[in-house]
Amino acid sequence: MTISPVAAELRSEDVSVWFGERQVLKDVNLTFRANRVTALIGPSGCGKSTFLRTLNRMHELIPSAGLAGSILLDGKDIYDPSVNPVDVRMEIGMVFQKPNPFPTMSIRDNVLSGLKLSGLRVDNKDELLETSLKRASIWNEVKDRLGEPATALSGGQQQRLCIARSLAMNPKVLLMDEPCSALDPGSTRRIEATIEELSESMTIVIVTHNMQQAQRVSHETAFFLADENTPGGVVEFGSTEQVFGQPIDERTNDYVNGHFG
Amino acid sequence: MEKVVADPRPAKQPWNKSSKLASFTGGRGFADATLITLAFLLAAVVFGLLLSVLWSVVSAGAGAMSPQFLYQNNRYISTTTSLDYGGVGHAILGTLWLVLLATMVALPLGLAIAVYLTQSQSKLRNLVRSITQALAGLPSVVSGLFVLSIISFLGAQKSGIFGALALFPLMLPTVARVAEEALRLVPADLRLAALGLGAPNYRAFFQVILPAAKSGIITALLLGLARVVGETAPLILTIQANNGTNLNPFDGGVATLPTYIYGFISAGYASSITRAWGASLVLLILVGILFITARLLTADKKKKKAKK
Repeated sequence: MTISPVAAELRSEDVSVWFGERQVLKDVNLTFRANRVTALIGPSGCGKSTFLRTLNRMHELIPSAGLAGSILLDGKDIYDPSVNPVDVRMEIGMVFQKPNPFPTMSIRDNVLSGLKLSGLRVDNKDELLETSLKRASIWNEVKDRLGEPATALSGGQQQRLCIARSLAMNPKVLLMDEPCSALDPGSTRRIEATIEELSESMTIVIVTHNMQQAQRVSHETAFFLADENTPGGVVEFGSTEQVFGQPIDERTNDYVNGHFG
Repeated sequence: MEKVVADPRPAKQPWNKSSKLASFTGGRGFADATLITLAFLLAAVVFGLLLSVLWSVVSAGAGAMSPQFLYQNNRYISTTTSLDYGGVGHAILGTLWLVLLATMVALPLGLAIAVYLTQSQSKLRNLVRSITQALAGLPSVVSGLFVLSIISFLGAQKSGIFGALALFPLMLPTVARVAEEALRLVPADLRLAALGLGAPNYRAFFQVILPAAKSGIITALLLGLARVVGETAPLILTIQANNGTNLNPFDGGVATLPTYIYGFISAGYASSITRAWGASLVLLILVGILFITARLLTADKKKKKAKK
């Protein structure tokens, strides 16, 4: 099987988010260009993880959640009534903060679980398995123990397995919600290297609390901020070099230089 | 001359293992010792009670035990027949059969309630949970009376199916509650991971959540079985006794272990009383097997978690 590089452009237009009566995000306009890595940074509670979840319709799984605006995947609104959220999530994959492999499945079944869960069929499962694990740079560590339970792996390996699990669906966009926050520096470095390689074939959006990580892995950076009692929003968006080097907004300057947050 | 160097380690605390006895001094030590002693005594009382029940059943029931007691039925046996003839084979089968019938309804329905309580966001959940809990407090004889009133309303004959019907509401709350616990223990992360891969809700449930809760759900089933396998009152009211083996739940009487025990102990003859004790022992072993299996399954799960 060949992985066809089909990275897509993802764009948010005037996205506002509510939890019940409380508005947590206001008018977020961002464009995630194809084959680029965009970092979402900002202090805790500014809505960046919430925003990330609007990008593949995981947000609406929270009972009180509301949303306005639109998210366009290559120009098509993923919130259009004719669109099935299940299809959106197959095209826009997600990696979570804590590694969450399926505990009842083997390493092999975890990687291929997306196929079974979404009802897809593939001709050559073994090839997809190998490709996905290689792309997540964990193949060499697990190739001789594919039948073992996924929980037998270390935390860092589990996270790379979860990345492989997303990759097996061949997504156009990969969303990562602080994927390294539960990992040691060595595992973090390996995942960062993986992100760089993956950006050749997909668009990546990564939420991170780690400024150094944002500078290492991303091409573009969006700085989110929520003032007290006001909904969060984007303060500044630009190339990572510019946002960290010559921030235009003073608040961005303060944040990236560690004056608050 | 050797220098005396102060031990850098903190001084031994009085609650260290090695100095446990030494700590039983002073006001706090005394209270501590009293409570520990009290706890041991109470535990010993409970344990003693349990042992005495077990012992009385084992010692009185052992006299009836023989291979033929386990597989023969009671046809041509009277309350005074020698223990060399007849057995509880028909009652073991009857009990298993009625409990199986009750399970066939209680397990799917209990599981459905558990799924509803854990997966839905509906406001009716609290109502459903309250009703299930209230059902758990239902006296078994009331369940029997209710079914008896159905029988007389229908003008039907007492039969096995009505016995199973009377056992069902007793089993349901146990299954629902334990299965709900089991499903609740599955991390929400797993559901999100499945949905994030493009799974519809039902596939996420059947392929990820349910397998992760498997051992807990088996435990729910076994505890539900153990809850009803020894129930007597509802069966006395809803089934007819039978000395032979009858596996037709719609026609004729059926013997079960609890009703067999009740019948033979009431007869009052030496051999009938021994038979009743023998049947009690069989019932106790049956319940014991269920509980030990449930225990082993949950222990297995805990071990796996610890390893993680």
